[in-house]
Formats: sequence, structure tokens, C-alpha cells
Amino acid sequence: MRLSGWQSLAVSSLLLSAFATAELRPQYGRTLHVATRIALSSLDPADDSQPDTVARRNLTRLMFDTLVTMDSQGRVQPSLATSWQVAPGNQRWQFHLQRGVRFQDGSPLTPEAVAASLRVANPEWNVSAGAESVTIERQAHDPDLTAELSRARNGIAKRSGGNVTGTGPFGVADWQPAKKLTLSAQEGYWGGRAFLDAIEIEMGKSTRDQLIELELGKTDIAEVATEQVQRVSAAGRRVVTSASVEVMALVFARDLQSPDEGKLREALALSIDRESIRSVVLQGVGEPSGAILPNWVSGYAFVYPVAQNLERARQERNEVPHAPSWTLGYDTGDPVARVIAERIALNARDAGIALQTTTAANADLRLTRLVLASADAYVALRTVARSLELPEPRLSNSVEDLYQDETAILQTQRLVPLFQLPTSYALSPNVQDWNQDRDGTWHLEDVWLGNKP
Amino acid sequence: MSFRRKLLLVFALTVFLSVAAVAWIVSFVTRRAFERSNEEQTAALVSQFQREFQRHADEVVHRVEAITHSETTTHMALALNRGSRESSGYLNEAGPIAESHQLDFLEFVDSPGLIVSSAQSPARFGYPENSLPNLPSLTSKSAFLKREELSDGSALGLFAVRAARVGEQPLYVVGGQRLDRNFLAGLELPAGMRAMLYQSAGTAFSPQLLIDDSGTVKQADKLSGLIVQVEREGHETTTLMHWSDNPADDETIHAIPLNGPDDKALGILLIGSSRRPYVELKRRIQSAALLVGGAGILLAILLSSWAAARVTRPIEQLAEAARSVAAGNLHTEVEIPSKDEVGDLADAFNRMTRELLEQKERLIQTERVAAWRELARRLAHELKNPLFPLQLTVENLIRAREHSPEMFEEIFRESSVTLLAEINNLKQIIARFSEFSKMPQPQLQRVQMNDVVQGVARLFQAQLESRNGGAIVYQLELEEGLEPVDADPELLHRALSNLVLNAVDAMPQGGTLTLRTKADLDLVRIEVGDTGAGLTPEECERLFTPYYTSKQHGTGLGLAIVQSVISDHGGTIGVRSQPGRGTRFVIELPRNLDRLRTPIQNDSAVVTPRR
Repeated sequence: MRLSGWQSLAVSSLLLSAFATAELRPQYGRTLHVATRIALSSLDPADDSQPDTVARRNLTRLMFDTLVTMDSQGRVQPSLATSWQVAPGNQRWQFHLQRGVRFQDGSPLTPEAVAASLRVANPEWNVSAGAESVTIERQAHDPDLTAELSRARNGIAKRSGGNVTGTGPFGVADWQPAKKLTLSAQEGYWGGRAFLDAIEIEMGKSTRDQLIELELGKTDIAEVATEQVQRVSAAGRRVVTSASVEVMALVFARDLQSPDEGKLREALALSIDRESIRSVVLQGVGEPSGAILPNWVSGYAFVYPVAQNLERARQERNEVPHAPSWTLGYDTGDPVARVIAERIALNARDAGIALQTTTAANADLRLTRLVLASADAYVALRTVARSLELPEPRLSNSVEDLYQDETAILQTQRLVPLFQLPTSYALSPNVQDWNQDRDGTWHLEDVWLGNKP
Repeated sequence: MSFRRKLLLVFALTVFLSVAAVAWIVSFVTRRAFERSNEEQTAALVSQFQREFQRHADEVVHRVEAITHSETTTHMALALNRGSRESSGYLNEAGPIAESHQLDFLEFVDSPGLIVSSAQSPARFGYPENSLPNLPSLTSKSAFLKREELSDGSALGLFAVRAARVGEQPLYVVGGQRLDRNFLAGLELPAGMRAMLYQSAGTAFSPQLLIDDSGTVKQADKLSGLIVQVEREGHETTTLMHWSDNPADDETIHAIPLNGPDDKALGILLIGSSRRPYVELKRRIQSAALLVGGAGILLAILLSSWAAARVTRPIEQLAEAARSVAAGNLHTEVEIPSKDEVGDLADAFNRMTRELLEQKERLIQTERVAAWRELARRLAHELKNPLFPLQLTVENLIRAREHSPEMFEEIFRESSVTLLAEINNLKQIIARFSEFSKMPQPQLQRVQMNDVVQGVARLFQAQLESRNGGAIVYQLELEEGLEPVDADPELLHRALSNLVLNAVDAMPQGGTLTLRTKADLDLVRIEVGDTGAGLTPEECERLFTPYYTSKQHGTGLGLAIVQSVISDHGGTIGVRSQPGRGTRFVIELPRNLDRLRTPIQNDSAVVTPRR
């Protein structure tokens, strides 16, 4: 049978459109390969001995649901809890649970299981289980409890015999601590089965190795170090970047001991040329910042000065007759930390401050990355204050109060914020429907894998 | 010390000194040779270091030039010439390039002198390269020493500068290699030598800045003086370093200042040469010298003993013969061992003894004649004295008979008395001579000498007490528990009586007579002392000579008889006397006649009579 030209064209068009539709339509199946620097030894979301990184939070959310979630606008959304009420005073919260939700081991999600999980993560809370609800009572009013509950560390987990299971879209298929984690899609997930059949996470991989594996097609998602973002993008790679989710800061090991020390810390903060470091070391990624919270969270971060002022730094320094020599520690696993620390030491030397870099743990101050705990400003600031053992900010919904609280923390001079940094990933071309919140939260349940080009 | 021992000592000393001298000379020559060798090795090492230094310098220049002409550098220079001041893209460029070109230091510096990228200090981007203020002048020069400031201190390196002139604005490439332990390890050193490097920090000496190919030098503080001196004076210096009490650990250190482009000392190269080989060689020489010396001395002793025996045996025979002659045996002759000087001496000795024998015979003849003459003289004298009164008395009787018959009877009576007295005197004289000629042999028995002495004392006690003139005090000092001696008590009694009589005669004005006995080893000593006028040495010398007497009335036989008695008992008698201080006779008798003693010594005039 011979087809005419028009007929042939019509057939070809139909075939092409069918093929194209097949490529654009989500496909079930396949395994997503992810590489990450972190090397977890525990999957328990409440295990605070594990590093609190964006990557860990994302892995945790694959296995464990929270009662509520926070959307891209910072609004709390139902998850395992369908609704909640708060009593006047914001101390007593009652959460009504979804029905029919099961843990990955098949057991049902009960209020008792939820309460037990929350008690492990928050021993200071008074959590009680009702018939179909869970009640949380705080000793003080806590208007941001839902924001706290949306954190990955509050994922609902069932702990038995050293194993933890959750209600998330993926369950643990294989677990080699600190090396490899294999997750399989939960068929009966209450939110609907994920497109992917499985996710294999290789842990403890350097960003360099991750990129090599991405190039070789051995992984689909690779972390990209801040300073490599531009280069990877320039190389034509598909790079996704979050908003600023961590602050790089100098954190002093102890509180101020004297006014002179305060002047020296002020001189050090003024001596740092953040812009040079950002443009050269960080390759233009990130924002110089004098604030703890990123501007997209607080809205006022820009008011804190960031410019180098060597003249004033020297003045402050010269007002201190006998300045000690400080040691500046840095994370040897962080590729740029050494260069930034040495640059800060050079800047400090220009101001007359003796600062020696060190890899020792007992340094006078450390170059540290503080991860944004939550998109909720209060929760994020409170987490920083707790980590530095500083007074916690007041509970208020006022931006002015938040600004004053953050300023108060900064005035303790325990830390000198340097940069607000995003988190970035390079994706292989076959990763489809990638969706990421501003705080870097993945939604792998929506991701599917297309054919490799 | 005997002649043989002296001879042995001389031989041994000669050998020992010879060996010691040879050992010292060998040791001295060895030390000089070692020091010369050490100096040559040090000079060779310095030369090698300079060659290595130059080779490294050429290598650094070559590598820096390769980087300068590389595509990366050209792109970088082009970008900078296009006006891009953005160095963000080059932050990590220098590191991999330096690594690929095996450079420890690498910096890209733009035309204003700002660091674009640094391998050793990535954080210094945008900072001026202050350590090289005049970069253009260095672009055509060879490599040079420079101290590079790093975040963890400073390091000494060999640097070169070249310029990439792509456009109007040159891009300077500053590369270098670190002078560190790897550099030192690359030096091919002879065994026993090592190289150390001190990086001058411009401050006080710091032990951490002194390294060798294994790391920080131990006991680096000991080298601080040398390093400070070289830093101050700026020229090469050599010193001997004592690391411990063991000389084998000593090291000769040669310090060479390493100067930068401005001739300022940036470092000091120290070349250590162990003295262990020399010390061990010296010890071996000393051991060998000791061994050879010891063996030589032993051999010398054996040889010299043999030689000395050969030399000294004839002399010892001569000495023995001389002693025999001295003992009175003039018939002694020695064998003539050879026809050398010792043989001549032996021949002369034999001739001497022969002549002495002949002279003795002649002397005996002469003395015999003299003795007879003396005897005749004494007899004549002794007999003449009583004969003269006899003659006068007889002549007086004859004259009285002729001229005074009336008085003849009275004269006859008186003369008869005189004649009888003189005849009795003659008989006494004859009896004494007879007694001297008839000295009996002693009849030995065990005798308590104190009993004999006390017997003599008792005999004379009454006489001394009734004596006219000055009184004589008896003083008996007898040692108690004196052991008996073999002696004839009668003869000893007679001899002691003679001595006591002599002592009494020596004290006409009175005095003290001392009789003393004392045990002395195998002897019994008896002393008879007076406090009389004493004797001259000449008198002492002749005192025991027969017929010699210092008294007006005496035959001179008393002490001769005493000496004869004592001699027959195997003893000796001596006299100790000084004029005005009395006289003391000392008799020494052996307790046992089998053992004879030599005469006693004296602090004054001592006479031992010849037997």
C-alpha cells in the first residue's frame, strides 16, 4: 500500500505527537540516583547528633511525614493533621489526624504513635493522644508551634528495636549507614504513589565526585558547591538553586569577656572584605550579609552593614592596647572554608588584628555554616539562639520585635554573619517535574524520570 | 735496684716510648688526613650544593617559562589586557598549574602588581605582591632565593619571575620551589655527611626553623651560636660540634649563608660531617698501639731479660767473687767469659786477686816478723824493768859486803825482799804471756746472762765500795725474762771482769758503772759503760790490738783476751766512746751459735774488730 504525501505527513505527525506526549506525560517506574556529601549514621529524624543540613531534611521528608508542612509562601498546610485548633494563649494545640494512614511496616498511624514520636523529638513538650487527635501543651504561649511541627526533625516516626519507620512516600529498602540508602515507593501512600519506583542515595560523596558521576550518568542529582555553581552552569548543566538557606558566619567560642574584646570583634567584623570573597571565592554566588536571617525570610536583612571599613576597623583595634592573637578554625571538609578563613585572616591583619587559621577544634572562633532551620523567621532565629546558647527571641508576630531580637543576638558579638548562601543541585536531563521550595525542600514524589537524551 | 732490673726498665721504656711515639705520629697523621679529607668532602659538597642549587634554579626558570608560555597564561593575560579586572575566574588556576609543573609556589601577578591567583596563598587574590617590589627587573634574571610568607608561617624558596607579554599589560608569573627537607634529601651526600637548612626569620633563633632531610633537627639549640654568628657576619664558618659526651658523635659543621637578591641572608646551609669514622679509626689505632705496645713490652722484657742475663751474669760472677775476696778468700778466681770488656774486667780481677794474695803473704811475713819484734820488744821491756832493780839490788849487796859489812845484813834483808818482789813480778809477766798463749776453747752450756752479769757485779761490789778516791756507783739494768744463751760462763765471767776492771780504771775520780743486758732479736746484748774520760777514735781503733794499752801499767792483753773470748762465742764486741763522755763496750752474743750476726752500727765511732 502506498500512501500519498499528505497521508504520509499525517501519519508522521501523529507518531511524533504521540511520542512527544509520551515524553511529557509523567511515567511511573525507574530508580532515581542521588549523591550527597552527608553521611548519615541514623535515619531517625529526631536524632540531633546527625548534621542538620538541607540534604538531610530532604531525605528525611521522603520517609517521614510531618503533621503540617510549610508552603513556598511560608504558610502552614495540612499534612498528617487535617486540621487543628489552638486555645487562647497559644499554649494548647489540638491536631486532628488523617484517617487510613499507615506506617511503612503496615501498622496504622494512631494518635498514640504520633504523640510518642513527638515526645521523643521534643521531650519538653506535653503531648497527649486523643481518640483521633493529638494535643500539645506548651508551658508558654507558642504561636509558631505549627512552624516548628513542619520541620523535618518533627517527622512522625515509629521507633521499635532500633528501627524507625514513617508514613512518607518512600520506605527504606536497604540501609548501609553512612554509605548507601535505598528507598522504595510506598504503594499505599496516603498522598498517592510516587512516580519513581525507588531512590538510591549514595552518601559521603564529595561534590567533585558527585559531578563526575553526574557526567558519567551514574547519578541524577548532584550537589553543587557554592563556588562551583557558575562553572557548572557555564558548562551547560541544569542547575537548580534555592533561596539563601544557610548563613556563613564567624562564631566565637565564648561570650564577650571585656569591652576591649568587643572592640576587637567589632574591628574584625569591619575588616572583612565580604564582596571580594563573594565575587572571587564564592564565584558571585550568595549574598554578603550582616544578618542572621536571609532577607527573604526577615525582609530587613539589608539594613545590617556589610561593607569593609578598614579605617574604622583600625581605629577600633588601636583603642585596644594589648590585643590577643586569635585562632580561626574552619571545616576541613568544606572546600572553600580554608580560602575564606585565610582571606579573613589577611583582612584582619590589615586592621592590625593577629588572626591565625587553624584546623584545631579549640579555636577562638570558627567559620561556620548555620543552616536556616525553618522558613519561619522566629523558628529560624530561635534555633540559632539555642545553638549559641543565647537568650531566645521573644514570641511575637511583629517584624519590629524580630528585628530587635536579631539585633540583640548580633550585639552579643558571639557571631559575625558573612554570607547568605543558597543550596544548589545539578540535575541530569532526564529528571522531570523537578519541584523545589525556596528553602530547598524537594518534592521528589512529583519527580519522574524520562528517557536520557 | 739491680743492674739487671735497670737494664730491663730501660729496654721496656725504650720499646714503650717507641710504640707510643709511633702511635702518636700515626694518630696525628690520620687526623690531619681525615681533616683534609673532611675539608675536601665539605668543599665537594658545597660545590655539589651549588650545582644542585643552580640546577634547581634552572629548573625553576624553565618551569616558570613553560607556564608563562602556556595557553592558560596567555588567555589570562589576554583577559586582563581586555580590561577585565575580575580575577574571580582565576582563583583556583594557580594551584593546579603549580601542581602540574611541580612547583611549590606560583602566583600570577597583574601589571599593577596585584595577585590574580596564588597557589600557595589562594586567599591573597587582589593583594599586592609586596615581597617583589620591582617585578619587571626580575623577568630576565635567573632564579633567586626568597622568603615566602604563608598562612602558617614562612618558607624559603627558589623563585623565578617571567612575564607573559600578550598585550600592553604584562602578566607576571612568579614561580618557585621550596627549599625544604625534600630539597635536602635530593642532595647526594657521602656517608657520614648531612645537610641542614636554617630559614632565617629575621628574628631570634628558632629551633623549628632548622631542618634536615628527616625533619626538625634534634638538639638544634646547640647550633644557635653558629647560626647567629653566620647571620651576623655573613660569611662561611666552620665549627666542631659536640653533640654528646661520646667523641664519636662529634660533627664538623660548615655553615654557608644563603643570600637573597639584596644580599641579605635568608637562610643558612649547614653541612655536617660526622667525626665518627675518624674517632673509630683513632680508637682502632690506639687499640692496635696498645696491643703492639703491650706485646712489644712483653717481648722487650723477655729479650731484655735474656740480654741482661748475658750481660750481667759475668758481672754478677765478678760481684760474687769480689764479695768472696772481701770475705778473705783471696784464692777466688772468675771465669773469663769472652774477650770483650767484661772479659778484660774478669782478667783484671783475677790478676788483682793474685796480687792481693801475694801481698797478703808478704804482709803476713812482715807482720809475723813485726809481731816477733814487738813480742821481743815487749818481753825486753817487761823483763828489763824488773831486771834493772835486780841488778841494782845485787850491785848494792856487793857494795855493801865490800864497803859496809856491818850493814850488809840489814841491806841483805831489804834487798832480799826487793829481789823476791821483782822475781815475783817477772813470774807474773811470764804467767800472763803464758796465759795469753793458752786461751782455752769455750765449754758451751745454756747460760743465763743475767746471772753471769750479776756474778761479776757481786765480785766487784765490795771492792768498789771500799775503793779510795771517788765513789763508783753501780747501775744494773737487766732485762727480765732474758732467754739463755749458748756460752762458757767462766770465760764470759773473765771477759766481763776485764771490762769492769778497765771501767774502774777509767774512773779514778769516781762515776757510774753501768751493766746492762737486753734481748735483740736473736741476740743478747751486754753493755758495760763508764762515765770516765772516754777515748779518741784513734784509741778506739787500736783498743783491741794485742799489747796495746793506754794505761801506764798494763800488758795490753786484757781487751785482746776479751775480744778473743767473745769471738770464740760467735759474738762481737764494739766500743762507743767520745772524749769526755765516757766509754761503752757493747757485746752481742747469738742466742744460738748457729746464727752469726753482723756487727752493730754506731752513730759515733764504731769499731768492729777483725777476727
